[in-house]
Amino acid sequence: MKNLRFIIVVIILMIYNCMFAQKYGTKTGNIKFEATVPSFEEVAGESKTTSAALDATTGDFAALALMKGFRFKVALMEEHFNENYVESDKYPKATFKGKVEGLDVSKLTADAKTYTVTGDLTLHGKTKKISDAAKVSKSGNTITITGAFEVKPGDFAIEIPSVVSKKVADKISVTYSFQLVKP
Amino acid sequence: MKKFLLAAGLLFSVFTYAQDDLLTELDSTQVQDSYATSTFKGLQIVTLQSTKLPAAKEWYFVVSHRFGTVKNGIDEFFGLDGATTKLGGVYGITNWLSVSASRHTLLKMYETSVKYRLARQSADFPVDIVGYNTLDINTFLEKEDYPKIEFADRLTYVNQLLISRKFSDKLSLELAPTFIHRNLYDPAIENDDQFALAAGGRMKLTKRLSLNLEYGHNFDKPDFYKNPLSVGLDVETGGHIFQLIFTNSQAMTESGYITNAAGDWGDGDFFFGFNLYRVF
Repeated sequence: MKNLRFIIVVIILMIYNCMFAQKYGTKTGNIKFEATVPSFEEVAGESKTTSAALDATTGDFAALALMKGFRFKVALMEEHFNENYVESDKYPKATFKGKVEGLDVSKLTADAKTYTVTGDLTLHGKTKKISDAAKVSKSGNTITITGAFEVKPGDFAIEIPSVVSKKVADKISVTYSFQLVKP
Repeated sequence: MKKFLLAAGLLFSVFTYAQDDLLTELDSTQVQDSYATSTFKGLQIVTLQSTKLPAAKEWYFVVSHRFGTVKNGIDEFFGLDGATTKLGGVYGITNWLSVSASRHTLLKMYETSVKYRLARQSADFPVDIVGYNTLDINTFLEKEDYPKIEFADRLTYVNQLLISRKFSDKLSLELAPTFIHRNLYDPAIENDDQFALAAGGRMKLTKRLSLNLEYGHNFDKPDFYKNPLSVGLDVETGGHIFQLIFTNSQAMTESGYITNAAGDWGDGDFFFGFNLYRVF
């Protein structure tokens, strides 16, 4: 009888555990980056297969993109990106692990509110702290997070050879958009 | 007491659970696209075709030179006086199919080719397999010299299977069984059908520089021809691929390169040249 009571407590705790971790997720998140210099060829890539997860109770947020999932207009540029710049075979993914500061899901509406997202961005084997504004909205079962930030290739030990340095911007602007759904 | 601890542990796990596992969970759901990429940088290793194909709708403009033999030294400026040229274009119809056409100075040859990918190296399959077929038209043969010549006599066919493997991000190797058929040949010295096995590879020296080597063993060649042995250096500069070459076979058509290698490395009788690719 004592055992049964214990089992019930464990089951309740496990259910609670599942409910408590209010996770929202996606596998089709969008990340775009652009390093185009005006009057030169467009240098931009886009991943439509970024996965991301948000814990609605704590505001914890994580995202993961495979480097080989970034698409470019020019196939040769995509090849060079993977082979020479981010070295996708050695460092296959980019990850972000952080927090939407002060997130309160109950106050989210269809009109986007601005929050600060801080966390660690890791790519090409290097990690950098990122903190920037993001817009968060919620309609039905979907939480949408969109935002933008800037990074420098040097922050992640990505070398830009001198022959092409004029054609690749010093600062790379990154925009993202995640529509996270409760599973 | 034990049970209490376990229950307390579980309760505690509620608070820690969400923290670290978000990323780990994502990790396990992502499927890695595992195809080997950039096995070779150029469409050719040296003169031999590599398993690289242009992407869909990509244009490659090709200019190649093979100079005369370096053997005669400064008299012929180490062969630069006897330059031969290949001018051509390659077009990717899809990511797995491309066509090309080129004109060669040597024997006033026109070469057309089709290249198609049959299999890709991935976690499930060990090699890239690409088919390559060429049709050469020799326009050097004059009607006055050969009054009975017909158009079919000018044709040479090459059928090649290119099998490559990227062993590491530096080393890639290729094997190429080759079957050559000529409509016009001299039965006293050679067969109309010739079989050869070619092999090549690249070793990256830096990110944008690689050393390439290739050799072809022709099983049916007459004695006075050699087997082609070539060494090259790939230099990559964004939209260009530049290949510097030393070879004992001056021809740039697939058939001529494998069957008519006239130079001899041992005698210092070899040719300098380069391939230049511009991608549009």
